[in-house]
Amino acid sequence: MSESQSDGAGLTERLDRLRVEPGNLGVSILDLVAVGVFFLFFLMLVAVGVLSLNYGMYLLGLAGMYGFMIVGLNIQWGYAGLINFSVIAFWGIGAYAAALLTSPGSPHDLLLSPVIALVVAIVAAAIVAVLIGIPTLRLRADYLAIASLGFAEVIRLLFLNEREWTAGSRGISGAPELFEWLPVEPAVRLLSTTASVGTARNTVVILGLLFIGYVLVRRIHRSPWGRVIRTIRADEDLAKALGKNTYMMKMQAFVIGCVLMAVAGWFYMYAFEYLDPGELEPLQTFYVWVALILGGTGSDRGSIVGAVTIVAILEGTRFLNEIDLVVALFEAIPGIALNVSAVRLLLVGLLIILVIRFRPQGILPPKEELIWPGAAPDDSRSQERQATREQRGVDE
Amino acid sequence: MSTELSLSYDGANLDKDDAVLRTESLKKSFGGLTATDDVSIAVERGSITGMIGPNGAGKSTLFNLISGFYELDSGSVYVNDTEVSGMKPYEIARSGLMRTFQTPRRLDGMTVREAMLVGPQGQSGESILPLFFGGSKVRTEEAANLEDAQRMLERFEIDHLANAPSTELSGGQLKLVEMARAMMAEPDILLLDEPVAGVNPTLAKKLAGFIEELNEEGQTFLIIEHDMSFIMRIADPIIVLDQGRVLMEDTPDAVRSDERVIEAYLGGSP
Repeated sequence: MSESQSDGAGLTERLDRLRVEPGNLGVSILDLVAVGVFFLFFLMLVAVGVLSLNYGMYLLGLAGMYGFMIVGLNIQWGYAGLINFSVIAFWGIGAYAAALLTSPGSPHDLLLSPVIALVVAIVAAAIVAVLIGIPTLRLRADYLAIASLGFAEVIRLLFLNEREWTAGSRGISGAPELFEWLPVEPAVRLLSTTASVGTARNTVVILGLLFIGYVLVRRIHRSPWGRVIRTIRADEDLAKALGKNTYMMKMQAFVIGCVLMAVAGWFYMYAFEYLDPGELEPLQTFYVWVALILGGTGSDRGSIVGAVTIVAILEGTRFLNEIDLVVALFEAIPGIALNVSAVRLLLVGLLIILVIRFRPQGILPPKEELIWPGAAPDDSRSQERQATREQRGVDE
Repeated sequence: MSTELSLSYDGANLDKDDAVLRTESLKKSFGGLTATDDVSIAVERGSITGMIGPNGAGKSTLFNLISGFYELDSGSVYVNDTEVSGMKPYEIARSGLMRTFQTPRRLDGMTVREAMLVGPQGQSGESILPLFFGGSKVRTEEAANLEDAQRMLERFEIDHLANAPSTELSGGQLKLVEMARAMMAEPDILLLDEPVAGVNPTLAKKLAGFIEELNEEGQTFLIIEHDMSFIMRIADPIIVLDQGRVLMEDTPDAVRSDERVIEAYLGGSP
């Protein structure tokens, strides 16, 4: 009994050591190990033949894209408490920036570099975010919710109806290769002779960008800025009474979040090479919300977990028809002829209910104390952990 | 002595030499209800000024007017002889006036230590750019603030709570954290809205001790309080509000024995 206890303490101690963050980047060794395990699992699925490498890489890219949107929404809702229902509109601004400026199918025939499109996407999203923020961020949280919901529809209808500018419902197809100079081919050929190098490169690009974005976001989350933003979420009047310009800081959080959503949209065009206004359905916005809530509102790691989860749910449920057991189960329901894949959304709903019921704060809720890296004497925190552990030992 | 301090019925005491906070004929009505009617007060530097009055006398409204949370109908507010009326709450706070709230506010998801660090003013890390281009400035400031926070928590004898989530604190502990956090901002004047409401007597006594100690070091206070024994013990002078007006301002002893005050509390003529 006592032996197993000491084993448990040894384990937590070892885990604590893994929580060290090399270079204070906000990414711990434990995080890296988790990501490594995830990739090993992914490669195993590919090796066993459950996933083709191409489809697997496509899924990873998709998760990366959702990751950007979820991290963005987490800054707005998770940190600052801003209710943004126009995630997909900012995504659309990024996607259309990429499509209109760089696609050979664009009605403008500009064929610019994707890097320019990325800059334009970021600047455009920031400007639009400021314009929406000015009238709504001074008011109560619900006004932003209403305004953003309306704005998302305005953007969708704009892209749908301004045909000369946007090609309307015909859509824009074709996209240049993203960052052709990235030498991914040898690595891909190592795994497979037939896999698409383009897909692999896209996946590397989005995951690389997501890593950079994640590190930057972690930095602001743990900063005094992040602390004030979280104060605003908890109690805006209190933040004001403590001398904080809450309007300006909410604006910053809103703009940063919207920019990240635009980056996700920009990437989409290169991964899918086709865009039409049908992609801007409000449902997409709610997938992002669901992912954030599942992953853990306010948690950076949770956002990434949410991205993987939502892709697993949305794509995984496509294949329910191919699992005999599931089909048999559905056929057993008398009187109703159910197509299994048609109940996908039902399953998504069920999953949300289950998570909310058993883990209301999400899969990886935020629980750490956020102090600027290097400001607190390192050893004091581990000493505190040691002290709590000893205390617990005494209690037991 | 008391005759010297005793003033007209308006209670205006605008000739105090060194007033940290001064208001001139503040007026505020909500619809037909006049909540604050021609209130002129002054809080002398280094004093603990108390503010009492029956429910609905307009004490909290006055706090909200002074700190900019409510818009004034008319009148002016001066902090350190600078007019702050019309400014936003955060600007007034930056000019040196800090306040607490009647119901203590919890900071969900933050430890007490983190909550304390929201207090200091002018942190460069509260802007985005210095976070990436500020070199070690943010870290140095943050380390200094952490030390200050620890000292302040020790001073208020709540350092054992530094790692506790704000949500797990009792009402009384929360009041202490609020006051300690406000002190982190090094205010010229601290407005406390009912600091001992819902606080157990032992803690209230402790709190009174902290306030007096800080006052001896020069901190100015303006305190709303319903607990008479508490306010009478620590505050001098005391301003009495009734129906949105200043009824009187005087020493605790004079206030205690004044007929108008007794009448206002017990009800009588309107």
